[in-house]
Amino acid sequence: MDYIDKYPDELGKFGEFGGMFAPEILMPALNELTEAFNRYIHDENFIEEFERILRFYSGRPTPLYYAERYSDFIGCKVYLKREDLNHGGAHKINNVMGQALLAKKMGKKKLVAETGAGQHGFATAIAGAYFGMPTKVFMGEIDIERQAYNVYRMQILGAEVIPVKSGSRTLKDAVNEGLRFWIANLKEYHYLMGSVVGPHPYPLIVREFQRIIGKEMKVQILELEGKPPDAIIACIGGGSNAIGAFYDFIDNSNVQLIGVEAAGEGRDTNKHSIALGLGRRGVLHGAMQYLLQNEYGNIIETHSISAGLDYPGVGPEHCYLHQLNRLVVGEATDNETLEAFKNLSKLEGIIPALESSHALAYLEKNKDMFKKDDIVIINLSGSGSKDLDIIKKHMEFSIK
Amino acid sequence: MTDSNRILELFKNNNERRFMPFLVAGDPNMDQFIKLAKIIEPYADILEIGIPFSDPIADGPTIQEANVRAFNAGVNTKTALKAIKTIRSETEKPIVVLTYYNILIQGADTIEASLDITFKNLKENGVDGIVIGDLPIEEADLTLKACEKYNICLIFLVAPSTTEERLDKILKVGKGFIYLIAIMGVTGIRDTVAQITKDTIKRIKLKTEKVLPVFVGFGISKPEHANAIIDAGANGIIIGSAIVNIVKKNLNDHKKMELEMKDFVSSIMNAIRRVN
Repeated sequence: MDYIDKYPDELGKFGEFGGMFAPEILMPALNELTEAFNRYIHDENFIEEFERILRFYSGRPTPLYYAERYSDFIGCKVYLKREDLNHGGAHKINNVMGQALLAKKMGKKKLVAETGAGQHGFATAIAGAYFGMPTKVFMGEIDIERQAYNVYRMQILGAEVIPVKSGSRTLKDAVNEGLRFWIANLKEYHYLMGSVVGPHPYPLIVREFQRIIGKEMKVQILELEGKPPDAIIACIGGGSNAIGAFYDFIDNSNVQLIGVEAAGEGRDTNKHSIALGLGRRGVLHGAMQYLLQNEYGNIIETHSISAGLDYPGVGPEHCYLHQLNRLVVGEATDNETLEAFKNLSKLEGIIPALESSHALAYLEKNKDMFKKDDIVIINLSGSGSKDLDIIKKHMEFSIK
Repeated sequence: MTDSNRILELFKNNNERRFMPFLVAGDPNMDQFIKLAKIIEPYADILEIGIPFSDPIADGPTIQEANVRAFNAGVNTKTALKAIKTIRSETEKPIVVLTYYNILIQGADTIEASLDITFKNLKENGVDGIVIGDLPIEEADLTLKACEKYNICLIFLVAPSTTEERLDKILKVGKGFIYLIAIMGVTGIRDTVAQITKDTIKRIKLKTEKVLPVFVGFGISKPEHANAIIDAGANGIIIGSAIVNIVKKNLNDHKKMELEMKDFVSSIMNAIRRVN
């Protein structure tokens, strides 16, 4: 395949997906952001500073770890890309440090972001503190309840958490409110989008800042195994950890790329977030993408045990890769995910985020797909320490 | 049936200042909405009707809540169009629809075919123009085609942040009038008319004179605002949130809602006519 660096096109399209379906009032700001990004991404000083921050502040490169006991359990060679070991406990830091640095270069003074699970909000609060930029984070009321500790963490770092009371009061509504705020405060604020969603140039910007995951993987697996992996598995909500892990392998068609969506209580119920697998094409938050929507084009409420995957859409590039048959789309239910969460914790001493546990669950369900010597990399996008409030509802913690 | 367009007819004749009030279809329910539309009609030059969308990112809380009330009353695109048809059967004034792109691209396998179905429907139900909250000029090609085919005016939004270069592009293809966003923000009531509004009207009018009339919306809630905006050179004013607010305030007393609505729209019309 000859894909890398060809998309998006000038209008921000990945095939028919993506684009700039944004209110007129935002267009000059989006165009300004595109110009600045295209300039700085080729600026050696910028790249050097970005890489320095990731190395000394976030702790990159993250290890690619051979999970021996888990491999025995699965029946193939399983490597974990330890994004959970980043500062902040997730891959989100890669993107926020890149965007905040870009914002600073553009002369923006403040940051505004949306958050679902609170991981991106937490990461943005870290960037805000690091760069001395006051930070506002919009977060759905329901998410505030189910991710209370991330709210405290953001507040400790000095960010202002603003509860979103409209719509389904989750991630999609946090994006709406964040964008509305940005519309009224374009001069001072940079909108720090948390995933490869939203209008152009966000899917491009976030991908480029997350590509570091796959670039490191490529070098690490060659060192460890002398060859590329047979498959990479990552969870997909908006899809930023997945595109980061996949991107530099897209042209190598021997590497199977598997994105796992949240099947919630099951694909036959109406409580899931299977946008790629069950969605129809539509426009939300500025981009053409696969969406969970009703026959009239109104967005329907989604569900996942992990707030980070609880989103009715999916990044436009994933839609395109799916259409090109380059991306295999899988899914895992809440229950399968919890099972995988426990398995990895007990077998490897690593508590995975519920988001990342979807990728593990897929592998556990589909272990027959892989032979003993096959190499599978799981992108362990985050740590599960943030998920304890949810976990305690599903596990017995009595001490006898 | 695609021969004439009431918006274009309206502007053919004279140079009067115009008033375009806005209601969300089905707010607070379909019957009451139709009643309110009839109350407003004599005072309006153009009727603007919102087809509700679940995620209206360019709208503030007042209009979002109106969308939610409509959805809760069981409204969808189909029933909204049916209501528009009912209103059309009783007025010859132009009707403009405001909605978001995703509402328009449903019904067929391709975007193009979906737009064709939608615009055919809009025309058949008596719609003359459309404002699409999240469709900038860059993404508008297919919609422009459908609008042209069914003789519906695609009315573009212009903001204080719109550059001269973008304005030129918009003026080349926009039809009916320009919907000028008065402030940098989402829809909703503001206390005063900002200087940026007056400055933007002047800047935009320099280019639009003899090309397209300029209607100003977002934030206008009082006759004084309407006057100030007309004085600054606008050809018309658009009022949404202040009208929707009258619905919201009187959900338990429909009689009062109707009386207040009539008083309000007549006060705005009088303010505008005074200038003419």
